[in-house]
Amino acid sequence: MLEADVELDRREFRLSAAFAVAAGERLALFGPSGAGKTTILEVIAGLQEPGRGTVVLDGRVLTRTAPPRRQVPPWQRRVGLLRQDPALFPHLSVRQNLAYAARTRPGPGTGRDEITRIAERLGIGGLVDDRPARLSGGQAHRVALGRLLASRCDALLLDEPYSGLDASLTRDLTDLVREVVAARQVPSVLVAHELEAAQAFADRMAVLDQGQILQLGSPAEVVAAPAARRVAELVGYRAFVPLPEDPGTVAGVHPDRVIPGRQPGRGVVLAGPVRSCRPAGAGWEATIEMVTIETASAETASAERASAERASAETGGGGAGGGGAGGTLVPVRLREAPAGGGDFTFTVLAPPCFRPDGTRVTRAEEVPT
Amino acid sequence: MSWAASPPAQVAGSALRRTVGSASGVASLAGALVIWVALLGPVITLLTHLSWHQITTALAVPGALDPLLVSVESGAITLAVLLLLGTPLAWKLARGSLPFPRVWEAGVLCSLLLPPLVIGLLLIFMVGPFTPIGELLGHVHLSATNTFLALVIAEVYESAPYYVLGAQAAFAAVDPAIEEQAALLGDRPSRVARRVTLPLAAPGLAMALAVAWARAMGAFGAVVIIAYHPYGIPLQIWTTLQETGLPTALPFALVLLVVALPLPLAAYFWSARARGRRRA
Repeated sequence: MLEADVELDRREFRLSAAFAVAAGERLALFGPSGAGKTTILEVIAGLQEPGRGTVVLDGRVLTRTAPPRRQVPPWQRRVGLLRQDPALFPHLSVRQNLAYAARTRPGPGTGRDEITRIAERLGIGGLVDDRPARLSGGQAHRVALGRLLASRCDALLLDEPYSGLDASLTRDLTDLVREVVAARQVPSVLVAHELEAAQAFADRMAVLDQGQILQLGSPAEVVAAPAARRVAELVGYRAFVPLPEDPGTVAGVHPDRVIPGRQPGRGVVLAGPVRSCRPAGAGWEATIEMVTIETASAETASAERASAERASAETGGGGAGGGGAGGTLVPVRLREAPAGGGDFTFTVLAPPCFRPDGTRVTRAEEVPT
Repeated sequence: MSWAASPPAQVAGSALRRTVGSASGVASLAGALVIWVALLGPVITLLTHLSWHQITTALAVPGALDPLLVSVESGAITLAVLLLLGTPLAWKLARGSLPFPRVWEAGVLCSLLLPPLVIGLLLIFMVGPFTPIGELLGHVHLSATNTFLALVIAEVYESAPYYVLGAQAAFAAVDPAIEEQAALLGDRPSRVARRVTLPLAAPGLAMALAVAWARAMGAFGAVVIIAYHPYGIPLQIWTTLQETGLPTALPFALVLLVVALPLPLAAYFWSARARGRRRA
């Protein structure tokens, strides 16, 4: 069990985060660059001292700013940290890299047989006599992971280690880390600024922005029900359409949570001309300029026309591109390309709605599943 | 044969073809060649102007090789002093862990920028017999003028900046992320230094030390003022030149070369090999 409660003043904001990760659990700290994610890992690893806070790993107090003060140095923490740079020791062979911790932490797990076993399991068995300079990027990351395994660390911290590698390699390495965490039953924390990386790794996700944890939940939960507008923006809601009967309140549109056709019982129905459409993945990505909106709350069932938007769409011919004062541009992902000509009608499934101040409001639209 | 590396001859050949391919390439090659030959010129001249007979007669004079011993001994002590005191300074400069790092660097550069002759003059005023330091040394029956100690002091001043700045560059080239990993894997700082930092900086440190050795061996400007006695090889060359002329001084120049050069050359080849191994 890893428990961290950290406060630290940064130039732009105060970093303040508290969370606990159980043995074998995988937590992702997800947020934009500069949100303070890496700083949290460095505090846990003992590379930075927090202004206030505690870090406790398996009952061992690693950091405590309140008296009696305690700051265990990094070399006594038994916390493994993987970064984007595998930072292998270039003057040592792969085997020596793997066995590096054997001298300071001898015991089972660092013997020659164990090193060979770890190397075999990570698929680098044939490389143990090579120098790091000969390894490919993926191999180097495997060695870095193996080196942490052999060091028998009690917690695993991952600072976007696999961003910059190609997709299939990233997937392989992420699976490998998941296996390792499950087998060793250590708490693990991944820092990610890409949602996919966080989703692929974690069973719990903390959304961090400007030094604050905005939401903590399973990746599916966070994406389906973001707790605030800022969270919604970070997890991929690309448009926020104003709800006509409730000025200021907006419904978040996630491109993936859209179905073609009018199904008012399942969410918010939007319609408008298709501004652009291109193949994306297995389907299509289209941008619709929203001109009408129909909500479950507006029981009239007749589509409320946002006349100003309509007018601007007509006069501007939709050529403004960025939307401007015209209708909101709504990106959607569809299985089939929307039929051309006329307005395209689609339903945004159970959209989360937000007040003008960005907080969440529960409305009838999002109740259906 | 590995797929990654082409045979050296092929690499050299294609590099040459690329260079000769353009007019500017030819010009730069010619320029490089001129500089290279010009730099090697004195050594070639020395070798062509010496006969075996000249060398043996000059070195057969009783006591002729004493300066060699003095130079080697003082040089070795100088290196030990630099290693002991210069290495920590270089490491701290490289890691930026000193307050006002620019001031510290300027201090190191100072002895590089002052002409050796001026250093010698100033040393007289600093450690000469009628100075506080000189008097202090006098209490323990030491003197920092015209003694072996004075020679070492002069050599340290002339060679220190070359070592400190070279070692600083060597340490700066060690990636802090690698040291950080070593610490996280359980090594306390002193062990990180022994297992990671020093081995990685070693080729650069060896080069810096080799350059310092060559400077110490050839130190003359400060030496001639503060440590005229005992003679090292540079002073031996100088006095022989003044007393008996050019031809008799030349063999000692060869001795200086033979003593001063092997270490830098060995360091150069070793560090080139070590770096190559790490890269590929």
